[in-house]
Amino acid sequence: MSKIDVACIIDDDPIFIFGAKRMMELSNFCKSFMVFKNGQEAINQLKPIMLNGKDIPDIILLDINMPIMDGWEFLDEFIKIEAHKSITIYIVSSSIDPVDLNRAKRYKNISNYIIKPISIETLKGILEEELQE
Amino acid sequence: MILKFKNYIRVPLLINTPYILSSQVTKTTNQNEVNLLDFIQKYASIGTWEFDLELETLDWSSETKKIHEVPIDFTPNVESGISFYKTGYSRDTISTLFTKCISNHEDFDVELQIVTPTNKDKWIRAIGMPIIKNNVCIKVQGLFQDIDKKTKDTKALAYKEQQLRKTFENTLVGMAIVDLNGNWLDVNKSLCKTLGYSKDQLSTMTVKTITHPEDIHIGQKAMIEMMRGQREYYETEKRYISKTGKNIWAQLFTSIIRDDSGEPLHYVAQINDLTKIKETSKKVDQLLATTEDQNKRLLNFAHIVSHNLRSHYGNLDMLLDIVKMDLPETTDNEIFPLIGLAVSHLGETVENLNEVAAINIQKDLKTEPLNLLENFNRAHSSIAALIIDSKTTVSINIDPNILVKAVPAYLDSILLNFLTNAIKYKKPNEPAKIEINTNIVNDFVVLEIKDHGQGIDLEKYGEKLFGMYKTFHKHDDSRGLGLFITKNQVEAIGGKIEVESKVNEGTTFYIYLKKHE
Repeated sequence: MSKIDVACIIDDDPIFIFGAKRMMELSNFCKSFMVFKNGQEAINQLKPIMLNGKDIPDIILLDINMPIMDGWEFLDEFIKIEAHKSITIYIVSSSIDPVDLNRAKRYKNISNYIIKPISIETLKGILEEELQE
Repeated sequence: MILKFKNYIRVPLLINTPYILSSQVTKTTNQNEVNLLDFIQKYASIGTWEFDLELETLDWSSETKKIHEVPIDFTPNVESGISFYKTGYSRDTISTLFTKCISNHEDFDVELQIVTPTNKDKWIRAIGMPIIKNNVCIKVQGLFQDIDKKTKDTKALAYKEQQLRKTFENTLVGMAIVDLNGNWLDVNKSLCKTLGYSKDQLSTMTVKTITHPEDIHIGQKAMIEMMRGQREYYETEKRYISKTGKNIWAQLFTSIIRDDSGEPLHYVAQINDLTKIKETSKKVDQLLATTEDQNKRLLNFAHIVSHNLRSHYGNLDMLLDIVKMDLPETTDNEIFPLIGLAVSHLGETVENLNEVAAINIQKDLKTEPLNLLENFNRAHSSIAALIIDSKTTVSINIDPNILVKAVPAYLDSILLNFLTNAIKYKKPNEPAKIEINTNIVNDFVVLEIKDHGQGIDLEKYGEKLFGMYKTFHKHDDSRGLGLFITKNQVEAIGGKIEVESKVNEGTTFYIYLKKHE
């Protein structure tokens, strides 16, 4: 029933990763996960996947504040990669700073800005959006 | 006697009288000479006198009598003549000189005081000269001059000069007279104290010697302009170096003094020690820097609240959700719901803090003209359910043309907050009654929100009313932050809030919002 094959979480917070994964499992959100601890790790691993065209994630939940490479830097790098599939990117951050919200609007790849904490309802909302497309 | 006097005419006393020096004197007739002598006696206030030792007679000319203030028929003798002199120094001196003149053949010329018959002290000048015959003094002749006014003027002038001198010397402003080459001609005590040098030490120095090396150029152009007559004074701030090597910040006023023909003579300088003021202003600057630094740190703190604290709360909340679904059996106890409550309160607090921080951090808020009635109606309808449920009556009397300058989100929040507060703090047993009115006061629109509710004891709580986390009523929903945030929002858009209240009668809030012209 789920249309999402691969969900990708890019976040440095292990608690969030645990929670998000568990919630996705409980809500039957996706078939498999990909988890990266920061933007750099994500870029390094996603690049070959994107080029292969195999197991490309359907959605990415992207945190902003991360060490090494933050969410914005990741986005700047990520949009350079030629994609064979449309990927929905959600910013998932605890920042309610309007500066961050406005910055997110400038990226056309970004579907939405989700303020943490995420809940089952949030995930269901994302799923519905995905199914509509 | 007249001829004899010709000998005396050249005494220095008379030099200033032009008639005397003229060669015409000797060419004129006897009668003319008599007239001239009268003229001299009268206008120069000079009389003559003659003592004949053989006849023991003392003759005074009419002018001499006039100076003594005695009638013209007065006949003086040596005793009475001397008795006019003021007792003490004056009388002793004249007695001695007169005696010496006769016995030692010595001239005298002295300034003394006499006492007139009307008991008035008068300064006079007495000149005497012996006439010698066969080595014996037979006569003493002399002049008698009224120098009272001159002497008194001189003394007055001396006094004035002394006053000026004392003023210069003792004034708290540093003062100096500096020659055109920059040498100190005279300095006062205050300046010596400021610079740490004595008057003598400074007299061997120039202005340059004690000027801070970096400030030597200061005022040079102005000095040249003053010398050229293009400028009369100048004012500047510069540093000197004191004897102990300390930098002295000074405010310097220099003016140039010229002679009657306009040639520069010297400079007069006033030097105010600004060192203390400079040090104080340095401290103020430091304080300002510290404050700015602290402000930055506060912003940082707000940022930490916004990011870190929120993310921890988010994790807690999420974990609780998972526990509820994953391990429902562990939630069936007294403690779990309390953890849930605590976490939700934490979230609320963080959110409120964020809101407050956001209002205070934001600069250059973009206000726009907003129709007050439309916005009020929107707030009103957004809580329509609450109004109906609570049977609240709201009478709205807002001029539909009024526009206020506000940030839309703020205005919404302000209106909603006051409206819900008015309902929340109604009297326990009757539905809320709210009256809304507007007034224009100067460039403000005053929105008046009057409830007929519980009222607030302003004497007790007035100061805390708009404080953070203050509540005055026992109400389930009292967060205590509403008014604080509202006040911050109102002030952020240039307004203010006033309140009137009476316990059991109700509260009226006056919200001043900037009017859009």
